[in-house]
Amino acid sequence: MTPANAMKLNAVALYAISAVLLVAFYFQFELGELPCPLCLLQRVAFTALAVGPILTLRHGPRPGHYGLIILAALLGAAIASRQVLLHIMPGDAGYGSALLGYHFYTWALLGFVAAIAASAAMLLFPGQFAEQAPPLGLIETVAVWLIFAVTLANGASALLECGFTWCPATPVHYELLYKPA
Amino acid sequence: MDSSIAFLIFAAAMWAAWRRDPRVAVFLFALGMLFTLAVYLHHATDVLPLSF
Repeated sequence: MTPANAMKLNAVALYAISAVLLVAFYFQFELGELPCPLCLLQRVAFTALAVGPILTLRHGPRPGHYGLIILAALLGAAIASRQVLLHIMPGDAGYGSALLGYHFYTWALLGFVAAIAASAAMLLFPGQFAEQAPPLGLIETVAVWLIFAVTLANGASALLECGFTWCPATPVHYELLYKPA
Repeated sequence: MDSSIAFLIFAAAMWAAWRRDPRVAVFLFALGMLFTLAVYLHHATDVLPLSF
């Protein structure tokens, strides 16, 4: 695999992470489903996944960049696994609505496992680890700025929801917008 | 607020990676991972309404 092809795949990964977070935003703002603390931490882990690909796009493919993805995915998988186990009892309705039959934390677990598998697969192609990084194209640059903007938007949204304290275990309103009667 | 701080740390790591400062990016990444782990462990003590 050439460095240019590896960088294209890393840009695709950034778009995929942005898409996951934007779908979560859709369910939050259009359908009014406030994310719980574990849900927010899974979103955080998705943004952590993006640091490795951005390093790859800026400095060229390195094995260590894939290591960062695997570490972030392991943390995300641990958080998602806990939430899956919290709702594993028969008859439990789960938290939030389902998408294609699975709740978001189940999709998140599958996504983090897929990220680990994809990173491991990328490490099997040493031809990408050249000294010189190819120049960035528009598609790669937009991928970086998109995930950066989505991450900042998530930070603002979490602040709106939780206020200036710990996020409540079961959020029912946006703390900074809430006016008690 | 805890999640907002974590998002900001990783946004800063992305910014450092973009600014061609990989050491700072990796440091911020590690800081964000530790902070997220700490928040995760904090929420592990949340009261859980059981459904059975």
